[in-house]
Amino acid sequence: MQYETVIGIEIHCELKTKTKMFSSAPVTFGQPANSCTNEIDLGHPGVLPCLNKKAVELAIRACTATHCTIDPLVKFDRKNYYYSDLPKGFQITQQFHPIGRNGYVDITVDGEKKQIRLNRIHMEEDTAKQFHGYQGTSIDFNRAGTPLIEIVSEPDMRNGKEAAAYVEALRTSLLYMNVSDVKMEEGSMRCDVNVSIRPAGSDTFGTKTEIKNLNSISNVQKAIDAEVARQTEVLENGGTIVQATYRFDEATRSTVMMRKKEGTVDYKFFPEPNIPPVQLDEKWIASIQENLPELPSQRYERYTTVYGLSDYDANVLINNKEVSDFYDEVMKHTKEGKLVANWTISELMAILNRENTPLSDCKIKPEHLAAMVEMIAKKEISGKQAKELFPDVVKGEDPKKLADARGMKQVSDVSAILAIVNQVLDEQPQSIIDYKNGKDRAIGFLVGQIMKKSKGQANPQLANQLVLQEIAKR
Amino acid sequence: MELYTKEYFQKLAKQLMFTLTEEEAEGIVEEFKVLQQQLELLEAIDTEGVEEMIYPFEAPTSFMREDEVEHVLTQEEALANVSNKYDQFVVLPRVVK
Amino acid sequence: MKINDYKTNGKTPLQNATEASLYAKELQPKLNAMVTFTDLEPQVENLKNISKDALMYGVPIVLKDNVTTKGILTTASSKILGNYVPVYNAHIADKLRDAGAIVIGKSSMDELGMGGTNLSAATGPVYNPYDLSRISGGSSGGSAVLVAAGAVPFAIGTDTGDSVRKPASYNGIVGVKPTYGRISRYGIIPYASSLDHVGYFTRNMYDAALALEVLAGRDDRDMTSSFLPVEKYTEYSHDVTGKKIAVLKNVTDIIPSMELKEQMNHLEEELRKKGAVVEEVSMREDLLRAALAVYFIIANCEATANHSNLDGIRFGVQEGKDSYEDIMTKSRTAGFSGLIRKRFVIGSYGLFEENQERLLRKAQKVRRLIVDEMNELYKTYDAIVAPASLKGAPKATDAEDKLSNEYLIAESYMCLGNFSGYPSMTVPFAMVDGLPVGLNMTCRAFEEQTMFTIGQAIEEISGWCDKTVEVK
Ligand SMILES: [Mg+2]
Ligand SMILES: [Zn+2]
Repeated sequence: MQYETVIGIEIHCELKTKTKMFSSAPVTFGQPANSCTNEIDLGHPGVLPCLNKKAVELAIRACTATHCTIDPLVKFDRKNYYYSDLPKGFQITQQFHPIGRNGYVDITVDGEKKQIRLNRIHMEEDTAKQFHGYQGTSIDFNRAGTPLIEIVSEPDMRNGKEAAAYVEALRTSLLYMNVSDVKMEEGSMRCDVNVSIRPAGSDTFGTKTEIKNLNSISNVQKAIDAEVARQTEVLENGGTIVQATYRFDEATRSTVMMRKKEGTVDYKFFPEPNIPPVQLDEKWIASIQENLPELPSQRYERYTTVYGLSDYDANVLINNKEVSDFYDEVMKHTKEGKLVANWTISELMAILNRENTPLSDCKIKPEHLAAMVEMIAKKEISGKQAKELFPDVVKGEDPKKLADARGMKQVSDVSAILAIVNQVLDEQPQSIIDYKNGKDRAIGFLVGQIMKKSKGQANPQLANQLVLQEIAKR
Repeated sequence: MELYTKEYFQKLAKQLMFTLTEEEAEGIVEEFKVLQQQLELLEAIDTEGVEEMIYPFEAPTSFMREDEVEHVLTQEEALANVSNKYDQFVVLPRVVK
Repeated sequence: MKINDYKTNGKTPLQNATEASLYAKELQPKLNAMVTFTDLEPQVENLKNISKDALMYGVPIVLKDNVTTKGILTTASSKILGNYVPVYNAHIADKLRDAGAIVIGKSSMDELGMGGTNLSAATGPVYNPYDLSRISGGSSGGSAVLVAAGAVPFAIGTDTGDSVRKPASYNGIVGVKPTYGRISRYGIIPYASSLDHVGYFTRNMYDAALALEVLAGRDDRDMTSSFLPVEKYTEYSHDVTGKKIAVLKNVTDIIPSMELKEQMNHLEEELRKKGAVVEEVSMREDLLRAALAVYFIIANCEATANHSNLDGIRFGVQEGKDSYEDIMTKSRTAGFSGLIRKRFVIGSYGLFEENQERLLRKAQKVRRLIVDEMNELYKTYDAIVAPASLKGAPKATDAEDKLSNEYLIAESYMCLGNFSGYPSMTVPFAMVDGLPVGLNMTCRAFEEQTMFTIGQAIEEISGWCDKTVEVK
C-alpha cells in the first residue's frame, strides 16, 4: 500500500536574555553547577515569579518573524507534574493564551516552495539539567528558569526533507532575529517530532509516535526516515502503531522506544494566580517590530540586488550567519561586493574549514580584507600576489603593509606608465623597427626596459598593452 | 458516590507523591460527602455568562522586570538546605527515564 | 504598652527586647505560641544603621513562622520544613528591620496556614490566654496570643480566609488584613495565592495604622503588589460623622446569645450617637451559603499546586532513598499531617480537567457574583460589619478543622474580604461568657483610612484600647 507521512514538530528554544524568565539570576552556559540561581529558580518556599521584559520582547520578535498574530494581553498558567528536574512541582507556561498564534514558515524543498503553518508560540521556563551517572543523578539548577519559547507547528510536513527544511528555516530566522543561540548540540534548541503514517488519500490521522532529543538537523531527517520505515513495516505486517516516545540511535540509524504513553497525563492546568495579566503597550510592540534585525530573506534580497551576488554565493553566506555578518562588516569599507564574496567564500571559509576553527577565533579584520580587495580591484597587486599575502592577512596583518614590505606594489596608473613607455620607445628606435619587421621578441625587451625604469613596479600586463598601443601610433 | 472510595483517593494521593493511611482515606470519603452537599449549594447558583474571577483585582499590569542580573545566590547558599549533595550538585538515586 | 511607648519608656532597645523575649519564654509552657526564639544582639547592633525616628525603632515584635527570615529557621509549622533555613528575607522582614523592629521570634501557626484552630502546628496546639483550655484560633494563633498576653505590641499574621481576623476576635485584639497588593507577599510561604494577604495584630487602632505605614508599599518582586502611594495612615480622621455602616443581617440574625446581641445593639446605638449612619442590610443568602465551598475549593486547588515544591530534594526534611519518587513520596507523607494531605487530595480533585468546570471554575464564577454583590452595597456603604465570631474561642477538645455545615455563614463570611481583596479588620468590642468577641469590618479597596476611622470609634465605645490579659 502507498502511505502518506504526517509530521508535526514542537521546538523549544532558549531565549537570549541576560536573566531568567521569572527571576533576576543570570542565564549562562558552562558555569559551575548551581552557581547561577536564586531562590526563585530553586522553588524555595515563599517565592513569587516576576516576568522578564526582554524575554517577552524576544518572543514578540519570534512571533513577527513567523507571521504569528500576537496577543497583547500576556497570561500564564501552571502545568502541574512532579519530576526531579522541576523545582516548583509546576512549570509556568502559557497553556490557554499563547503570545503567538496562526503563523507560518516558508520552506523550499527541491525547488518547490511550501508553507508550514504554526499553531502557536508560547513562553515558558526551562527545567534543571540532570546528569545520569552510575552512582546516581546529579542536578544542576543553573538552567532552571531559563526563558523558553515553544513553537508548535501544524502537522503540515510530509517527509523528512520537509521537516529538516522547516527546522533549518526556523533555526536561521531565530538566529538572525537574535532570539536564540539555536545550538541543537548544546540544547538551546530542542526538537520533538511527531510522526504518523496513513494510507495515501486518507484524511484521518494515523497513530503518532514522538521522537525526542534530536541533536542536529540532519538527524531530524534521518530519524523521520527511519521511523517512517519502521511504521510502514509494522503496518505492512498487519501490526498496529503504539503511541510511544522514541529516540534516534545514530549508530544503528534507527528509532528506539523510550517509553509507552499510557493514556494522557492530566497536567491540571490553571491560571497562574501570582502573575496578573500583563497588557503590552501597542507602541512597544510596534517599535520591536519596526526595529527587527534583518531577516535572512531580506539579507538575500540585499546580497543579490545591491551587491549583485549569485544565488549560490548569497545562500552560502547567509547559511553561516557568523560569516555573513563578517561579510557585511567588510562591505562597510568597500563596494567590491562580488570580489569580497569570492574571497570570503573560496579563500577564508576554505582556511577555516581546513583548520576547523570558527570565524570568531580567527584574527582577520574586516577592514583588512576590504583593503586587500580594493588593492586587487585597483590593480595595485595581482590576484596571485594577494593569494601570497592572504595567509598573513588571516593572521591579522595589514595587507598594505605586507605588500609594501614585499615590494609588491604595482604601478597601474596608465598615465604614469604611458610616460615611461614613450620614454623607452624614444630611446630604443631599433626595437620599433625590429618589431615592425616581425620580431615579436622586441616587445619583451621593451617591456623589460619599462619594468627596469619603473623599478619593477609597473603592472606588466598594462605595460605590454601600452607598448603595443604606442608602437602602432609610430 | 460509589466512585469516591478509599481506593480512589489513595490513587489520587499517589499522583501527589504521598500516601494516605486507611483512616485518612476514610476521612476524605466522609469529608467528600460534606463537600458534595456544599457543591450542591454552589451548583444551585446560576453562573450563566459569568466570567471566572481569578485575581482579586483584574486590571492588567504593565509592569515587567528589566533584564538585569540583580540577585544571585552563591553556590553555598543554593546548596545550603540540600540533604543530599556531592561536588556542587544536588544528588538523587539514578533517575531512570 | 503601645508601639510608641517602647521608644519612650526609658529602657534601651536591648532591655525591651530581652524583657519581651523572656516573657514570651515564660508564657511558652502555657501558650505554646513560639516555634523559634531569635538572637537579639545582632538585631540591636543593627539599630546603629537605623534612624531613631524609624517607626518601630527598638520595638520587639513577632513574625508568623511562614515569613522567611534569612539564616533563621522558618518552618510554617510543618514537619517537612522542620530544618529549613531560608537563604533570603521576605519583603516585610526587610521592611520591619529597616523600621527598627526587633524580631524576638517566629510564632506557631496552623500547618502551612491551612486551618482555623492552630491545633495543627507541628509544635502542637496554641492556647488561648483568656482560658488555657480553649484554642487561640488560627492560622495565625501564635502571633495573636503573644499580642493579647502583652509579650509584644505587634505581630505579623497572614490571612487567607480569616486567619488574622478570627484569632483577633478570640483574643480581644485588633487584627488587620489590608487590601490585596497593599503589602508584598514576597517571601511569605503561601497557602492560596489569590486569597493570601499579609496581616497583623495590634492592641489599638493607632498602632494598627502605624504598622501599615511600615508594611505597605510597592515591591517589584510581587507582580500583584500595588503601585498606589502609601498614605499617612496614622493621620486617619477620628470623626465618623456621615460614615455609612452596613450591619450584615445574615450574620447578626443568627447570633445565639442575648449577651452578644445586646452588646451588638449597644455598639450600633453608640456609633449612631457619634454621627455614623448604621443600617441593617442583607446579602443574597444562597451566595453566602456557598461562600465556604467557594473558599474551600479555590484555596485547596491553589494550595496543592503551591506546595508541590515541598519534596525534600532542594530543601526540607528528606526521607526515603530508593528513587526520586521514593524520596518525594516518603518526604511528603512524613512531612505533611493527614489533614494537609487530605486537603491536597481534594484540591487536586478540583483541578482535574474533567472536574475543573464543576469545581474550580464554578467556584471562581461564584466568587465574582459574591464580589459583585458586595460592590452593590459599597455603592451606598463605607463598611460592612458583623461579629467576627458568634461566640468566644471554643474548647480545644471541641474544635476541629473539618468541613462542616454548621453555622455555615457565620463561620465563613469573613472570606468575602479575601475574595474581593478588600481591606478587612477585626476590632474587639464584646465579652461573651468571659471571652472576647470582635467586630469584623470590611471596607472598599485601599480605603484603609476609613477602616481605621470607624475602628477608632469602636475602640472609643468599647474602651478596648491596649488591653492585655494576664495568663493564669
Ligand atoms: Mg509541548
Ligand atoms: Zn514546553
